[in-house]
Amino acid sequence: MIRTEELLLNVGPQHPSTHGVFRIIVKLDGEVITEATPVMGYLHRGTEKIAENLNFTQIIPYTDRMDYVSAMTNNYVLVHAVETMMGLEIPERAEYLRLIVMELQRVASHLVWWGTYLLDIGAMSPFLYAFRDREMIIDLFNELCGARLTYNYMRVGGVKWDAPPGWLDKVRDFIPYMENKLIEYDKLVSGNEIFLARIKGVGQYDADTAIDYGLSGANLRCTGVDFDIRKAEPYSLYHLFEFDVPLGQIGDCYDRYRIRLEEIRQSLRILKQALAQFPSGGDTMGKVPRVIRPPAGEVYVRIESPRGEIGCHIVSKGKAEPYRLKFRRPSFVNLQILPKLLVGETMTNLITILGGIDIVVGEVDC
Amino acid sequence: MKGMLQGLGVTLKAMTAPKVTTSYPDVPFVMPDRFRGIQHFIPDLCIVCNQCARICPTDCITLTGKPNPDPEKKGKVIDTFDINFEICILCDLCTEVCPTEAIVMSNHFELAAFSRDDLFKDAQWLTDNNTLTRQDNNNIGAPAKGGGK
Amino acid sequence: MQPWLNQALTWSNALVLFLWVVVFLFIVLGFVTYAIYFERKVIGWMQLRIGPNRVGPLGLLQTVADIFKLLIKEDTIPRKADRVLFIIAPALAYIPAFSVLAVIPYTQKLYFADLNVGLLYYVALSGISTLAIVLGGWASNNKYALLGGMRSAAQMISYEVPLVISVVGVILLSGSLNLRDIVAAQDGGWFWDWNFLPQIIGFVVFIIAAVSELNRTPFDLPEAESELVAGYHVEYSGFRFAFFMLSEYVYVYAIAALTTVLFLGGWHAPAPFLDFVPGIVWFLLKFAFIVFFLFWIRATMPRIRVDQLMGLGWKVLLPVSLLNVFLTALYLELFIKN
Repeated sequence: MIRTEELLLNVGPQHPSTHGVFRIIVKLDGEVITEATPVMGYLHRGTEKIAENLNFTQIIPYTDRMDYVSAMTNNYVLVHAVETMMGLEIPERAEYLRLIVMELQRVASHLVWWGTYLLDIGAMSPFLYAFRDREMIIDLFNELCGARLTYNYMRVGGVKWDAPPGWLDKVRDFIPYMENKLIEYDKLVSGNEIFLARIKGVGQYDADTAIDYGLSGANLRCTGVDFDIRKAEPYSLYHLFEFDVPLGQIGDCYDRYRIRLEEIRQSLRILKQALAQFPSGGDTMGKVPRVIRPPAGEVYVRIESPRGEIGCHIVSKGKAEPYRLKFRRPSFVNLQILPKLLVGETMTNLITILGGIDIVVGEVDC
Repeated sequence: MKGMLQGLGVTLKAMTAPKVTTSYPDVPFVMPDRFRGIQHFIPDLCIVCNQCARICPTDCITLTGKPNPDPEKKGKVIDTFDINFEICILCDLCTEVCPTEAIVMSNHFELAAFSRDDLFKDAQWLTDNNTLTRQDNNNIGAPAKGGGK
Repeated sequence: MQPWLNQALTWSNALVLFLWVVVFLFIVLGFVTYAIYFERKVIGWMQLRIGPNRVGPLGLLQTVADIFKLLIKEDTIPRKADRVLFIIAPALAYIPAFSVLAVIPYTQKLYFADLNVGLLYYVALSGISTLAIVLGGWASNNKYALLGGMRSAAQMISYEVPLVISVVGVILLSGSLNLRDIVAAQDGGWFWDWNFLPQIIGFVVFIIAAVSELNRTPFDLPEAESELVAGYHVEYSGFRFAFFMLSEYVYVYAIAALTTVLFLGGWHAPAPFLDFVPGIVWFLLKFAFIVFFLFWIRATMPRIRVDQLMGLGWKVLLPVSLLNVFLTALYLELFIKN
């Protein structure tokens, strides 16, 4: 008899494909995983606790650093929560600017995902192609708000900066550019048989499981559940625009891949409409009291971030600082299904599945 | 097979396509005017209102004032002003609240240093950091009347 | 070369042979240096970058600097590693890689060993490198390295078989295992006399199996960066790591040369009126094209999965290569023999 034993393998926290400092302890039988335990917290900075000692304007730069791939949506969820609590009116121009940057951010975020996912699967070039195009968006943001990653752009009651002259035209030019590049992406990757063989049927789960685990975003929609907060509970100005919510059928990595690429197209569609309807004048900052003191009470708002439902729960005691601030981070929630998905998969599929969930560790650990 | 060949075609085409990288250290990276880089401090404008130190989310600004040496004038003038760039996140809030635009952002972003001590910038350093400062300082959060403007 | 090899081995002959080997070693090292440079440039261009351009004019000395860095690096051996095997493995990887180059003919006149079982010698020796990878993976006492070594063993065994069988067709057509005779048999004047068209099935199987033998994308599973960090050489650093890299690139040289010899007509010109160009130029052109093709694939393809790799090897390539042997034999029997 050959004596066999399980191999306990530490994947991470320093590993090329864990997208930061995420760690999974896997038990391997040959190359097959029999048990997987994710370990989180290597990037925990206590954002929620720090926020209890800061006023709401000061918290905004902290939200940038949660999901650093999609800082604009994080900005929005916080200011949206405070505005809902205080019942503030947002000028139309500010709301349009917010919507445009959020959709650009969604495109940028999905591009990062696309590039890194392909890198996980072993193709090097798509990563640089995606970053070339993301760079265009980053440059637009840099021009708009003076930062390339941590924007700190939105404020309670509006936005910090109006669009500089010519900025909207640059966004307008970006849309057809990006549409062309999406065709190139499909040529480069989407038809590649090796790639399809790698992701089709991998990491499959059904709609009930997805709902049980509280998944959201593309991870939920890949199973065919039609739930996009932009449609289900329109916030901002999403009720004014026409767009489709791409859905998958069987809930595997391929469906998630397809949905995310399609979401880029839909975002470009929203951007086109938003730019056409952009108000010619108006303020970018509403009437806001000097010190922002939401009335005592609680509020929970949620919006659709590129990764899923990001929520912000504020408990206020009527002070300038929140009594308690809680973010529902989609990456954290989506990650919970990982141990279930990994059992019985190979080491290679671990990377495919983990990449397919699309986590940002800054957001997982918050 | 078709998909792979298409992919090979894309990469072959990219070989002759214009390159998108910049030769950064040789050619300086030009940032737009709104870029938030290392702050420039103008001591003459400062009224020691302490707003920047209070709004700073990371508490990286420390400042002290002293009575105005000119007995004719009221108020204080700045004595020391330090920003600790180990923890500064360049969030722009200090320039946003400054009523007199005594602190503004510049386009410089190169903060790498061999020692942590180099990252502790005092008033003199920040005053000398006077190139490429931001022209358009949209101080939306500043109180309407702050004094000395 | 040949006269010395056929003479009795005296001290002076041995010295001459040794000097030849040293010269050749430097040629190979030069190739490896610039193959790495070329690879980084080509992949850089394909990824809209410039590639290395800082060290030396056009970055030509980049690889030299890299190798120099590896040489002066601290030589680390993990405490729990199997010291002897750990030290032997890199050498064991390199020796066969260099030895197989002996049988490659470059032109009619320029060759080293004229072995009558040249092809067999190549295949037999190149199999030893697998051993080195498995040993290195095992001796490192690292789980990632072990997984990489295991994958490597499985992969090499599965792909050695179709690789050998795919060239049986070529051997049948030329009637020899001697690589010089195989090239000579492709001398029809035109490029369609080269083996890659009559043996198109064998050629495709050979290319796929060869890329897999080289452990290059899309078959770079033993060192799959995104999964196994660096695979079998995860614990190696400095000089020993350089040896693994070196043998990998020497195999690129070997496979590119072998493909040229077996399927692309060696030193023959593609058309009779181009005969005035020396054979070595044609050889180098074809050789460079194969090397470029390997880099091109690396810039485009994602990595294949282990089970799919095995499936491809045993279920597709092996039957197809067997079919190729059968078809070639049938063709020879029906049309040529009579």
